[in-house]
Amino acid sequence: MTLPRRLEQSSASILQKIKESLDRLNEKMEVMIEIQKQGHSTQSQESVPDVLDVMTLLSLPDHLRKTAVTLCKLDQATADEVAEQTKRARAVESGYLNQLVLMGYVKKERRGRKAYFFVDREKEEKEANKAWEKS
Amino acid sequence: MGKIIAIHSYKGGTGKTLLAINLAALYANQGKGVCLLDLDFRAPSLQAVFKVHNAEYWLNDYLNGVCEIKRTLRDFSQTHVKRGKLLVGFANPGTEAIREMTAKDRKWEMKALGRLLSLKTSLLNDMQLDYVIFDTSPGLQYSSINAIVSADVALVVSGMDISDIKGTQRMIDELYDLFEKKTGLIMNKVFAEILQSKTHRADLAKQLMNSYNLPLIEMIPCFCDILKTGGTTIFASENPEHPFIKTLDRVATQIESL
Repeated sequence: MTLPRRLEQSSASILQKIKESLDRLNEKMEVMIEIQKQGHSTQSQESVPDVLDVMTLLSLPDHLRKTAVTLCKLDQATADEVAEQTKRARAVESGYLNQLVLMGYVKKERRGRKAYFFVDREKEEKEANKAWEKS
Repeated sequence: MGKIIAIHSYKGGTGKTLLAINLAALYANQGKGVCLLDLDFRAPSLQAVFKVHNAEYWLNDYLNGVCEIKRTLRDFSQTHVKRGKLLVGFANPGTEAIREMTAKDRKWEMKALGRLLSLKTSLLNDMQLDYVIFDTSPGLQYSSINAIVSADVALVVSGMDISDIKGTQRMIDELYDLFEKKTGLIMNKVFAEILQSKTHRADLAKQLMNSYNLPLIEMIPCFCDILKTGGTTIFASENPEHPFIKTLDRVATQIESL
């Protein structure tokens, strides 16, 4: 491989890494903004999970309901995948999904460089099965 | 990709089950693959029409996570339709099962929603069916809202009774609009005299569309001969030339345009 070609590849790889770092930074900032918006009282409720059933969906504000219903349909998804369905910007969906995480309705898991959001039905199911086995 | 259609109403007795069965049979007789599911767990009805007394698995079991959806389905293609495929899933009509379904908590309802949403993959993608029809329970309760959220299209059936009209209007404003669902209105058991006059028919249609703010799919007259059969006849298979089935033909076409 020629030197200019190698340099070109190396620059592309550095730029890709910078882009991914910026994406992650952007997500963290969105979460911080949401935390500030919610105020200190929400932080104490952060770890309290709630149930994303249809009645909860009905009680959500319109913008969050659209995101939550889309996530329910996809089961688990990245902000990109939700944005593709809702036809809204990725950054907007990322903000809404993180808000749903803060409210305790949605779980977030980082796999590699991607953040996945999901409604934690499996965990509930495992807990129910354990309780059933115990009884 | 096929379609999931939920048939719902504000009040009971509007004719949802009759419409669901005949629409399913009509699609099957057109050569389509259809699955009809009884999601009215408070008042199961399909088992009476299809004369099913026992089942290894009911739809209740699928929602409880006990079995796959396939295990709950029975094939009536050979006996109840002339062409196509007609699969039916039944709700358990036993009193204990009904009581159990009414006592479910929110976490169970959340999981039930997940299972209904996954029918799109299991029935439409994997089994390659063309239509799944949900016969739902009336009003605003978990099972019916879960069904509406999981469907691609919702058909709201209303009678001409003022309490039905007002309740349906409220339900559309407070439920359907919030979920941005493709929805159509079917007025059922309309006085035949009104529908016979073109002017009266047009006036009524205009009035209904204004008050519901929904596309009016069809106004179906009250057919005494249908009432006389007591729900034992599937007209789409046994009497396809009946005016009721001609009306349903238009409903099937209109659904595609929603």
